[in-house]
Amino acid sequence: MKIKRIFTGIALLLLISMTVGVVSAYSLLNEDPVSGTYYTGRVFVSNTTFDPVVFFPGDKGTVTYVVTNGNANTSIKLTHGIFYDDDFQRISDNYDTSTTLGPLQTRPFSFTILADGPEGDYYPTFTMSLYDSNLNYKSLVQIDNTPLELTVVDQPDAYIQGKKKTINMQVANPRKNNVRNVILEVSGAGITATPSRTFVGDLAAGAKVPVNVSVTPDQETTLNLHLTYDNGNNPHEVSLNIPINFGVDKKQAEPVMSNIQVTATGTTYRVTGDVTNAGLETANAVMVTALPPAVPEDPYKTYVVQALKPDDFGSFEITFTTDGKATSVPVQVSFKDSDGNLYNTVQNVTVPDGRISASKDDGPPLVPIIAALVIVAIFVGGWYFYLRKKKQ
Amino acid sequence: MFRTFIDILIRPGAFFSGMMGEKEESFKWPLVILLAGGIVAAGYGYLLGGATGQMMSGAVPGIGMIVTLFSVIGAFIGVFIFWLVWTAVVFVLSMAFKGDGSFKRTLQVIGYGYLPQVIGSVIALIVAIEYVPKIVVPTITSAMMQDPAAMQQVTMSLMRDPAMMELTQITTLITIVFLLWSANIWIFGLQHARKLSPRDAALCVGIPVIAYILYMIYSLGVS
Repeated sequence: MKIKRIFTGIALLLLISMTVGVVSAYSLLNEDPVSGTYYTGRVFVSNTTFDPVVFFPGDKGTVTYVVTNGNANTSIKLTHGIFYDDDFQRISDNYDTSTTLGPLQTRPFSFTILADGPEGDYYPTFTMSLYDSNLNYKSLVQIDNTPLELTVVDQPDAYIQGKKKTINMQVANPRKNNVRNVILEVSGAGITATPSRTFVGDLAAGAKVPVNVSVTPDQETTLNLHLTYDNGNNPHEVSLNIPINFGVDKKQAEPVMSNIQVTATGTTYRVTGDVTNAGLETANAVMVTALPPAVPEDPYKTYVVQALKPDDFGSFEITFTTDGKATSVPVQVSFKDSDGNLYNTVQNVTVPDGRISASKDDGPPLVPIIAALVIVAIFVGGWYFYLRKKKQ
Repeated sequence: MFRTFIDILIRPGAFFSGMMGEKEESFKWPLVILLAGGIVAAGYGYLLGGATGQMMSGAVPGIGMIVTLFSVIGAFIGVFIFWLVWTAVVFVLSMAFKGDGSFKRTLQVIGYGYLPQVIGSVIALIVAIEYVPKIVVPTITSAMMQDPAAMQQVTMSLMRDPAMMELTQITTLITIVFLLWSANIWIFGLQHARKLSPRDAALCVGIPVIAYILYMIYSLGVS
């Protein structure tokens, strides 16, 4: 008896479940099974995404409409998703097949499009056929032909053959959307650039990044700066040419020696003085040494003055010997610029001839010796003839 | 007085003939001549001693002044020492030729005969005033005092300075010329002072003079 009751209960539950399933199946028809009301009014485009966000004229891209069924209990049958606009050419097919969107579910509809029109604001249309009506949706998209800005922030006044110089540049994105894969390439005939290719990466709208490139020109040429980037998946480029002309850098550091004093200590010359930076840039690692025919000697074979800012000065002291014949000795001042290029300036310093004469041997002075002997001979001869004459 | 000096320089034979008539030797003018020579020599010593003192001033503080002072005094006294020594040499040599005359008379004659060298010293001083400032003097440091070789090298460096070498050569020639002039006077003076023949007097004076000059020429060659 008790088992019979249990089976009766189970049979009743199964019957109730079958009844609910019939009601649910009926609701797929976009119509409330009780009131007969259609629920397509709660179907809407919840999100629109253009990639890229802002197109260049001619750019390919995608647009994705996300359709949402706002009904809590009713599934919606969707057909014919269509994109159209006069200035955006649709490349992919429209959605011709029917599909069902469950309660509170979303579904994206993507189209590949091509921006055909000129710069401006556009409102392409997306339509979707529902059971009893059409869903029409317009969204704003822009076509903008503004490229990235590649600007030279600072560069040398002049370039010197074989010397490395730094060019400070800036890459800026004046567009309203992000761009990707920004790469700067530097090239030119006879140019050694470091780095020759700089990967900047993504650049947000309105952002700017500094890019520094060191170039070493072997000849006068044109430096080509080539900036490439992707707007969506569309490659774009910006080029900039910089003439590389050799000349004198007006701002270059210019160490000048002054207050030079030469003294001889033993057989060694000691030269002291000041080095003043008369240029407009910092002279780094300033060193002073004597060049041949001088032979630098301890304790100050080379004197390191260190860095000199513009108008700064430092004292130096060098010691050297000579071959005993030199009347002037070239003294070299070397320094490095901010790029590590080595510059040399040479200034002659007068030294007393023969100061280091330990090695100097020009032989006996023949002229005075001969003159002395002649004088003595005249004296002796004179007296000889005088005495001889007197004797006679 | 001026005429006396002219006679000494140009007519020494006549001058000494007249002088021998005096009974006592007067050292007034010889001493004046030697004093003048000493003062000029002191000036020359001041210039060269200053350079030497400058060379050593780095080794010991204040030594430069001392060296200069010694140079001045030494040059001044050296003239008188030379006078005595030279007189002694000539006097001894003249003894070999049986010279007859007092040492004082010989001293007087040698003193008069120094007059050309005073003139030569004045010229040498003028030349030194011109050349000494051109000499660049090396410095001996205190560390070098422990190294005789280094000190010798520095000293040689000073001696071989072009200006110093030119000064040495010029003053040597001047000294030779005026020493021979003095020798000429001494020969005449010695004839009367030591009653020698002209030949013997010439040998007594000429041998040491020529030897001294040859030594100066040798020094010039090896310096």
